Amino acid sequence: MKWLEKYKVQVPILEKESDYPNWAISMTTTLLNHTGTWRIFRPIYLNKIPPCNNECPTNEKIQSYMDLVKQDKLLEAYKLILEDNPFPSITGRVCYHPCETECNRKDYDESIGIHCVERFIGDWGLKKVPFAKPATKRKVSIAIIGSGPAGMASAYYLALNGFNVTIFEKKAKLGGMLRYGIPAYRLPKKVLDNEFKKLITLGVKFRTSSLVGKDITLDNLRKNFDFVIIGHGAHKNRPMVIPNEEASGVFSGLDFLSQINSGKRPKIGKKVAIIGGGNTAIDAARSCLRLGSIPTILYRRTRAEMPAVSDEIDAAEAEGIKIEFLVAPVKITVTKKGKLTGIELIKMKLGRPDASGRRRPVPVEKSNFTLKFDSIISAIGEQVDLSILSADITKTEWGVKADFIGRTNIQNIFAIGDCVTGPKTVVEAFGAGKRTALQIMGNADKIQHKVERPVQYSELNLDYFEHTQKVPPPQMPVAVRKKNFKEVHTGYSNVNAKNESERCFSCGVCNKCDNCFVVCPDLSVLKDTGEYEFDYDYCKGCGVCAHECPRYAITMIEESKAEVE
Amino acid sequence: MRFTVPEKELMFPGHVACPGCGGALAMRFALKALGEKTMVVLPACCWTIIDGPFPMHSLQVPVLHTAFETAAIAAAGVKAGLDIQGKNDITVMAWAGDGGTLDIGIQALSGAAERNDDIIYTCYDNEAYMNTGIQRSSATPKGAWTTTTPEKTPKSEPKKNIMEIMNAHRIPYCATATLAYPEDLINKFKKAQSIRGTKFIHIFAPCPTGWKMAPDLMIKICRLAVETNIFPIYECENGLNYSINIKPKNQIPVVDYLKPQGRFRHLIQKDIEQIQKSVDFEWELLQYRASRDFTKSKNIQSQAKK
Ligand SMILES: Cc1cc2nc3c(=O)[nH]c(=O)nc-3n(C[C@H](O)[C@H](O)[C@H](O)COP(=O)(O)OP(=O)(O)OC[C@H]3O[C@@H](n4cnc5c(N)ncnc54)[C@H](O)[C@@H]3O)c2cc1C
Ligand code: SF4
Ligand code: SF4
Ligand code: SF4
Repeated sequence: MKWLEKYKVQVPILEKESDYPNWAISMTTTLLNHTGTWRIFRPIYLNKIPPCNNECPTNEKIQSYMDLVKQDKLLEAYKLILEDNPFPSITGRVCYHPCETECNRKDYDESIGIHCVERFIGDWGLKKVPFAKPATKRKVSIAIIGSGPAGMASAYYLALNGFNVTIFEKKAKLGGMLRYGIPAYRLPKKVLDNEFKKLITLGVKFRTSSLVGKDITLDNLRKNFDFVIIGHGAHKNRPMVIPNEEASGVFSGLDFLSQINSGKRPKIGKKVAIIGGGNTAIDAARSCLRLGSIPTILYRRTRAEMPAVSDEIDAAEAEGIKIEFLVAPVKITVTKKGKLTGIELIKMKLGRPDASGRRRPVPVEKSNFTLKFDSIISAIGEQVDLSILSADITKTEWGVKADFIGRTNIQNIFAIGDCVTGPKTVVEAFGAGKRTALQIMGNADKIQHKVERPVQYSELNLDYFEHTQKVPPPQMPVAVRKKNFKEVHTGYSNVNAKNESERCFSCGVCNKCDNCFVVCPDLSVLKDTGEYEFDYDYCKGCGVCAHECPRYAITMIEESKAEVE
Repeated sequence: MRFTVPEKELMFPGHVACPGCGGALAMRFALKALGEKTMVVLPACCWTIIDGPFPMHSLQVPVLHTAFETAAIAAAGVKAGLDIQGKNDITVMAWAGDGGTLDIGIQALSGAAERNDDIIYTCYDNEAYMNTGIQRSSATPKGAWTTTTPEKTPKSEPKKNIMEIMNAHRIPYCATATLAYPEDLINKFKKAQSIRGTKFIHIFAPCPTGWKMAPDLMIKICRLAVETNIFPIYECENGLNYSINIKPKNQIPVVDYLKPQGRFRHLIQKDIEQIQKSVDFEWELLQYRASRDFTKSKNIQSQAKK
């Protein structure tokens, strides 16, 4: 409430001499004096996009749920996450957390352990919060090809809003790479099953063991559904194109992991070579170790160029896995009878940067040598199978052609996830799935685009923060974990999560810290309505409030440009 | 970190302080601490103007405007008058600028302190006669520009140490405070209110206009003054027992404090080094004083109690 709404100001009438008091005594207050007219700049409350939110492909409102965790409002925190990401227990475990890479706190001490807090809230919610029920049914039918993260996210938001969703999945079980790629020591299958219960409660129909392109055609789906969403991922193993690649004892990384994840035990020998430097290679190597083999990763560039996430490489190395750098396979060596004996390699050196910006490996002449192995796993990358697409759908070099929202060249056909981008990440697939759902739901205005300039570190007022260390993510000791497929990271406790969220700056987002109210010399920051507001009748525009806002939630704008009230 | 200050306002907006005035915010905090049962005595100073021209007034407590040199004695008189009427639950506070305290009002202040009159005397120090046109006072720091100490011949004398003068009176309570530490400031006013006798509070109160600095830096400059040890935050009981209330976290060079202020723009490297040296000296001296423990000396303790 503004001052002038709270107080009735007396205007003394001073016309004749007798109106004046006998001695100099005030007759009214300075509320009569509208010092707001002095202003050249005016403060306005303006929340901005923090880098974590900007970088997260699902644009989770990280700063806001950190604030809720601080206040022990876990239910609100969980609900807020689900608005942007339906499956935080999954991303909390396997997301490569680009949010943390960009977190402003990294420039102060250490970035916030965002994914650890996210995982804590996600697991808390799975345990405590009943699954959402769908809104009133709408008569719109949607076919989704693929039950990977892209399809899951679309299905969630569409079903939640009453759409009729059917997922067609070629495998016997649901989850795509979450089930058949990522090993259980990073994502226990039980967590995945629990997250899928959300979709089951929402009434999503599943047609498993239905290979689109064989059991049912895409054209067929187009005829029978109002919308088709393609999210069939990137599952074709890229061949090494070297002699004896077909020998027995040579596995593809995806097949190898998929077997383990289906409960089988692939027949690998003691000494195993894994070719490649991506996440599939690391996961295959760590899985070999857990099966009792001795894995060696062979990679043709150096550690700096490895596409695998640095945390994962660290974990593999901590478990004692050897990585040989700057070597490339020339051929698989076999006995006359065709039995695998090892691999012939050539040494490499780094040349000029290639299209990806990484330095291209070039062979060192006559440096060939041979190493002995019992099995070989090839994990040099995955490709999209484009054969299921109808001829009229436009493709790119690596996948289906679709925009940020998932729109293909054909109306009512959308494409999302790895099948568009080539192998990427779970959270990107979630983000794409959500955007497509919003588009189909007619809520395109809610699709968040990346901003050029999120809140910068230099825009914060760091006087109000103490240096603290990140709460380290608890994990099983190496000696124990490398013997089985039990989850490596054990997760934050409630106290851990609270302590970690306390560290968040809340960049660009007001969290009602009261600073602006406290420091205003002109009593022009009001908060009796529960929200902060400026009293422009009196604010002189000094800017102290904006400067002392720790998180840049106040912006000073030129008075002449301020909208006329 | 989050400030917690009493919610109730005992001041109105519409006062005529410049944008970003430290003195205005100081009054707001002081009244939050002291509460409604307070009377304020203002001698000539910025606050005479800030309070508003006739017929207006910006405080929600009574104010007596008085002459430049009389803040302390007028306050003591008001207090005596109230006592005689039996109204002894009212706090009387003299509120004067640095000119009215360190120069013009020092005699009356010393007299009140000598008699240990039961008042709170606050000096909000903006380091010059600001509302009359930025003339130097004995609180102006060495090296500063004012209209009477122009850039070619900036002030050559160091700032008068009013805290030591008041400590020498052995009054029950003397304290420094500034606006970047509102809780500390408010606690000191509350503590002063609970003590009988003369209490002296010295507030470092930036004047963006006279210091030629951006008004939005008002709080920041207070913080820098403390973190560079230019204006240490401490208190002293009975002129003997010192304690430093805010210990700077990192050692910041004085130049960080001087730089944002136009009044120090003309200083050269050599001047800055000199300022640094004298700040280091004063800080060491203060730390030494604060390290002495008089509670062990029965003699000193029994004397001090008197
Ligand atoms: C070993 C490995 C580990 C990984 N680890 C991580 C990680 O830790 N973090 C991370 O963010 N990302 C990781 N990724 C990448 C991530 O898994 C993918 O980016 C993500 O799963 C892509 O989601 P998607 O829904 O587009 O495709 P997918 O998950 O591949 O799902 C596609 C689904 O479509 C089905 N399908 C395919 N063709 C058809 C068809 N014709 N008819 C019907 N169904 C079909 C598939 O069976 C599958 O279920 C990893 C990938 C691999 C291979
Ligand atoms: S400090 Fe908090 S709001 Fe800022 S980038 Fe990091 S997580 Fe986001
Ligand atoms: S501190 Fe007060 S007067 Fe200054 S700009 Fe902010 S609201 Fe206006
Ligand atoms: S100072 Fe605190 S309360 Fe004010 S806008 Fe900034 S975050 Fe919100």
